[in-house]
Amino acid sequence: MTTYEADICVIGGGISAAMLAQKLAELKPGAAITVVEAGVKIFDFENRAKYRQRSLDYGENAWPEDFIDDQSGAGIISRTMAVGGSALHWGGVTNRFSAEDLTLHSRYGLAADWPLTWDDLERHYCEAERRLGVSGEPGPLPEDRRSEPYPMPPMPLSYNLAVLKQWADKSGIPFQGTPQAKNTQPYDGRSVCLRCNTCEICPTGARYSPDFTFKQLLAAKKITLHDQTLVRRLVASPDRKRIVAARGVSRARSGEEVEYRAPTFVVASGYAWSPHLLLLSEVANSSGLVGTYMTGHAFIGGQIELDATLYPGMNEQHSLISRQYFRCAADAPFVRHDLRVWESSAGRDPRLKDGSGTLLLGDALLADWRQRTKRGAARVRAYYDVHPSADSALTLDPSKKNRWGDSLPAIRHALDAPTQSRAAATRTHIRGVFDLLAKANNGRVLNVSEGNYLDHPSGGCRMGADPATSVCDSYGRTHDHANLFVVGSPTLPTGGCTNATLTFVALTLRSAREIAKG
Amino acid sequence: MARVTRRGAIKTLGAAAAAAPVFRLKAEAAGRAPGGFRLQAEVPDSSLLAAIAEVVIPAEADRKAAVDAFIRWIREYKEGADTDHGYGNTRVRATGPSPARNYGAQIAALESAARAANAAGFAKAPFEVRRTLVERAIADAKIERLPSRPTGGHVATDLMGHYFASSPASDLCYGVAIGRDQCRGLQGSDKAPAPLPAKAGSHGNAR
Repeated sequence: MTTYEADICVIGGGISAAMLAQKLAELKPGAAITVVEAGVKIFDFENRAKYRQRSLDYGENAWPEDFIDDQSGAGIISRTMAVGGSALHWGGVTNRFSAEDLTLHSRYGLAADWPLTWDDLERHYCEAERRLGVSGEPGPLPEDRRSEPYPMPPMPLSYNLAVLKQWADKSGIPFQGTPQAKNTQPYDGRSVCLRCNTCEICPTGARYSPDFTFKQLLAAKKITLHDQTLVRRLVASPDRKRIVAARGVSRARSGEEVEYRAPTFVVASGYAWSPHLLLLSEVANSSGLVGTYMTGHAFIGGQIELDATLYPGMNEQHSLISRQYFRCAADAPFVRHDLRVWESSAGRDPRLKDGSGTLLLGDALLADWRQRTKRGAARVRAYYDVHPSADSALTLDPSKKNRWGDSLPAIRHALDAPTQSRAAATRTHIRGVFDLLAKANNGRVLNVSEGNYLDHPSGGCRMGADPATSVCDSYGRTHDHANLFVVGSPTLPTGGCTNATLTFVALTLRSAREIAKG
Repeated sequence: MARVTRRGAIKTLGAAAAAAPVFRLKAEAAGRAPGGFRLQAEVPDSSLLAAIAEVVIPAEADRKAAVDAFIRWIREYKEGADTDHGYGNTRVRATGPSPARNYGAQIAALESAARAANAAGFAKAPFEVRRTLVERAIADAKIERLPSRPTGGHVATDLMGHYFASSPASDLCYGVAIGRDQCRGLQGSDKAPAPLPAKAGSHGNAR
């Protein structure tokens, strides 16, 4: 077994780990910071244009080898396991939550409050936006005030989105362009967006991904990165007050056993693999809550046909957002959701047979396609706030093991009773909002569909002030072990009603100062 | 573990391809390419594809470019390459056998049917005969939907689907230069795309 010593050992190599490592290197210059990641490095930026083209042409994985064959699980678990994590693939959307997310219990008697204030989180949102490089514009609602401007001017609305904004504004619901971690000007050594329409594999580097941060930190020799190293267990001291080691295997060296010793350990392995590691290690779980309150947000989407000439494909990844429904009066039926609008060609793709079943070839097919695309279409979607029950859980599945014999995770989301009781009213409300949008410009709702999973999953190590009802405090410090932290997505008590990555990062950056103290 | 299995499957596919009587495929001497296994497919004759293209690709389109792009797609296809995966996909899938494996038999059937219709071959048959044969082949193959990528269902629908899923086809439909799959820069994106240049013999489509 090879043993490595560090001042801080970070387990996991995704966006939270990247941001944490960067800030720790600033707070503790000269400290030995080791990041341990189970997956591989995909640092060949020079090949991205090629990967993008293969993905477009053949549907091939744009991030080759970004997974481990037998490191998977049941439920909503991203397969990506590589340096950069899911944020290799992300769309770069950087919406903020709202103050209501932190005070659900005190305002509405629902779920749990977060153990920090909005002003505190807001400051760290600003920091996260600076570090990631976010382009955006101030929102139209006073409740969305910001203490700092966005680091970059907003992504210009494409012609299509400008038309859709005119249409959407007629409904009386205020919209704006979605803030994004995409460069509208050169930023942090990365180039400006070239509107390639494939943000999941950005060939220019304009969309932030954590590999850039890791490469910068490695070039400056500020961290050590051990990729292809799977941490299998955290080892507690005999009195169980501290974590003394992290043990695992080097996949690059045929499974050689490795051990990390450090005064401070940080688990930054995302919503699935963080609670999984704690459960395997039987640590940080005196509350019995590790792996519980797995959360995220539910969603309803639809297509709306409208009187507008649109040209799908101009910038399909950019959208409009309204934060109108982030707030809910305390005396009104509870419903909170975001509202997004995209250009769309769905349901009007070229087709082989017309409505009567007549085969269409060549000119006839083109004529049919043109006819069906005369009116424009918008894709709409609302992420809405749902709250997990205690049995919304990640568990170890003894019937599924990896090659090392470790049980793999299974996630089964479950919603609490209040969420279930208001489900019908929530659906009715959101469908009503879609109808309102459609009617604003002689449109019609073509279809509505409900998601069958929770998006942007989080939870599993929820934070709180009370060790009996939470796994860690607001900084991610586990209640059971003074030198063990969990950061990012696992710590969220509730999953909000909009994209959550910026919140994961903001919370992680807030933890960094506490972690640096040791 | 699964990776080993997949490699094994690919080897099996390669062996089967080498033995295919109608449409010969040869494994590249270099072996497995990173992320998949490229086969040196004997693509259908371009004049035959051009004859199919006259039936299934619009007259306004650049049919030669459509056929060339389809041939290029076949040649560059990799079997067993990992495909995109997203949230909740606990299984990583791999691309299947090259759709081109099926084309030999399909083309042989078209040729045979053309001769039965007193033509010297499919490519030399009159347009209406070719159209009828393609329609019949699509019906026999029970293809109901236009594939967004070639599937091997039939070479005619694969050629057609490959074209209609393309950025140039989208531009032709809307009559403007959207350039969906190109990196175009942010400047000017707030304006409607420019109309396509007029092509001799085509009518204007800009809206």
